[in-house]
Amino acid sequence: MLSSLFSTLFTMKFVQTVIRLATPIVFAAIGTFVAASTGIGNIAIESIMTFSALAGVLGSYLTGNAWVGVCIGFIVGICTALLIAFFSMKMGANAFLIMIALNTFADSVAIFTLYQITGDKGTTASLATPILGTLDIPVIKDIPILGEILSGHYILTYICWILVILLFILIYKTPLGMHMRACGLNPDSARTAGINVERLQVLSLILSGFFASLGGVYLSLNYLKIFSKAMVSGQGWMGIAANGIANGNYGVLLLSALIFAIFRAVSIIFSSSTAFPVDLVGAVPYFSVFFLLTLVSIINYYRTKRGKVEEE
Amino acid sequence: MKETILKLDNVTKVYPNGTVANRDINMEFEKGEIHSIVGENGAGKSTLMKMIFGIEKPSSGVITYKGKEVHFESSMDAIKDGIGMVHQHFMLIPSFSIVDNIILGDEPKKGLFVDTKEAAKRCQELSDKYNFELDVNAKVSTLSVAKRQKVEILKTLYRNAELIILDEPTSVLTPQETEKLFDQLRFFKQQGHTILFISHKLEEVKQISDRISVIRNGVSKGTYLNDELTMEQLTNLIIGRDLDNDMDAYKTHEDFHDEKALVVEHLKMEHNGKGVLNDISFAVKAGEILGVAGVEGNGQIDLVKCIVGLQKTQYEGSIRICGTDTDKMNIRQRRDLGMAYIPEDRMGDGTAGELPISDNLISTYYTREDINGKLFMDNKKIAKVSDDLIKTFAVKTKSAEAAVNSLSGGNIQKVVVAREYNTNPKFMIAEQPTHGIDIGSAEFVHHKLIELRNAGAGILLVSADLNEVIDLADRIIVMFDGQISGYFPDGNDVDESSLGMYMLGAKHQSAEEIGGALND
Repeated sequence: MLSSLFSTLFTMKFVQTVIRLATPIVFAAIGTFVAASTGIGNIAIESIMTFSALAGVLGSYLTGNAWVGVCIGFIVGICTALLIAFFSMKMGANAFLIMIALNTFADSVAIFTLYQITGDKGTTASLATPILGTLDIPVIKDIPILGEILSGHYILTYICWILVILLFILIYKTPLGMHMRACGLNPDSARTAGINVERLQVLSLILSGFFASLGGVYLSLNYLKIFSKAMVSGQGWMGIAANGIANGNYGVLLLSALIFAIFRAVSIIFSSSTAFPVDLVGAVPYFSVFFLLTLVSIINYYRTKRGKVEEE
Repeated sequence: MKETILKLDNVTKVYPNGTVANRDINMEFEKGEIHSIVGENGAGKSTLMKMIFGIEKPSSGVITYKGKEVHFESSMDAIKDGIGMVHQHFMLIPSFSIVDNIILGDEPKKGLFVDTKEAAKRCQELSDKYNFELDVNAKVSTLSVAKRQKVEILKTLYRNAELIILDEPTSVLTPQETEKLFDQLRFFKQQGHTILFISHKLEEVKQISDRISVIRNGVSKGTYLNDELTMEQLTNLIIGRDLDNDMDAYKTHEDFHDEKALVVEHLKMEHNGKGVLNDISFAVKAGEILGVAGVEGNGQIDLVKCIVGLQKTQYEGSIRICGTDTDKMNIRQRRDLGMAYIPEDRMGDGTAGELPISDNLISTYYTREDINGKLFMDNKKIAKVSDDLIKTFAVKTKSAEAAVNSLSGGNIQKVVVAREYNTNPKFMIAEQPTHGIDIGSAEFVHHKLIELRNAGAGILLVSADLNEVIDLADRIIVMFDGQISGYFPDGNDVDESSLGMYMLGAKHQSAEEIGGALND
């Protein structure tokens, strides 16, 4: 029994599962990263994903077009981000309190809205919702192994990895990206270089909302194909954790997101077995976040002690 | 007749809260001169510079730049017109390369992207042209302070600055680095740049300037040719009276029976395998000031950290404060022995910037009974203590509730000194106690140190300012490369050049002579 479980860990199917599970975490991670690049800690990723997941499904149901649903999903995400920007930067409220408030009521608001529209408190399963499909890449799909890994994924997964590349180029290769990083690293020096720090911070929040919302929409319109209660279940937080581990390093950011996805995949495979308590196995991904963060703190502690960490 | 590059006519700045920072300032700056602006902290130099650089707008008056009346909306306008400023606190991003720091906000582009090759080429050319000797691809975090300053200057040159404002540029430099900076400034002058030099250090001002303008209490006291002005006249213009230089006159000589406030024996410490303190022994007697002279970075900082208890790494040897071995004692316990500490970094270590003056005035002894109720802090008593201290130490502020970082540097230092003074210390470490503050405040701080000394406290004065050490100290030790290289039992009987030989390591006394630092 157990050995068969372990053998599934080293199959193509497992790799595919990891890629599927990584998508929302990577969206959340780059969403956190882009905000952090200008010095904004966006901890509302989880709630933005929840709002957008629901908005995407409802948009798709009401218009009969899944892509319109995607658009509505990210418009809602961007609006949420702008809401944070408005209250924190324009009205002078504490950004973290706003974001904590958003996270606290995200699930309830989503369920309330769901109930008002469908009369169902759990899922949108009763709605006939057009959804997004998978994509077979011509030529590549026929290559053994590589075809299996690269082809046949959900459309938003491909969009995710394209955005990952585009964001890298934006942040590290363009003047705009350089300005954004400057804002995050030393706002005063950015200001003296004539950069409008606040404007770039709003821009990065918008991008952050955009990325996070695609993560939400992926869950509801592409991966699970319905909106259901508490479906984001910490994947936004994993993105935030990945960003914390990365500490500004884009490669480490993606790697951490992938590691979290691997643990999620492991937990899903093992939960099909009765050998372990389901609740315990379900907690594995969250333990992995905990251990990875602890590990990174320990490493940083010793690096600081040896005086090898750069001053900020 | 020389060409006037910048002219100020009746420039006045009144802040919304009613503070008049500058009143009717008239000044002219000639193209290609090094023009110093001197004045005490809070005299209005910074505000004046901010107006020239477009950070603040004048309330009234006219600024004419290159024959044209200008109204800068922001410093970007000033930069566009060819004015550059090197701020006292560097505006650099440590994790960026030199190139990225220089081009930030004005990047050469290739299509949508930053043209990194072109940027590096331009920066390197610029650095070479002005003999900066920088590898422009290095990260700023790996650079020394002096090199960071060069990067700041390059930033202004990259933006074609003709008029460069340097705000206290030497406050972070060693004497040798200052010398190099001055060579650089003279070179800029030859190239036709105009330098606006702001400094507290009058020797340096005299050394580098063509002309000097003095500001006192927001009002211009005139512009003078450097050659026509003696040091005494300059001092008099700045503080409005003659400076009281003879500290010895204030010293009394009571007998404290050779009590030792501090005894350091065989102190050794390594950092990354390199010895930073090599067998240091000395004592500070009650009722004396022991001066520690030395070029910065020769172990003084580590020495102070060991004594105060800030040192995290293990050291060998013994440190006794007022007769008690401090082994494994934390800072609070050492303070309880009668130690007080005026740290070099008054903003970082000396005060909590956002907190009110009153809190900062009690922060090292807030547990003391006379300002504490049984359970809660006694705010009435705290208010009384702080009001008294503000008065005695002449801290310029409207209220004890104002945040400490709203004060000028000199006044912040007075807050620190007032607090430490008020602990009635038996032993005090004064680390660069007048670093970067105006001469009026410095004089005041010196008087307070002497007062403590006369009352029987032992004071360890660590300073890179040789004049300060010679003026104040009863005995002097010189540190070089983590060791005591010289000991002078009579602080009145030394001169700068003889100290200098030991500071630079050109001379080294015998172990026997140095032993006097401990045993005399």
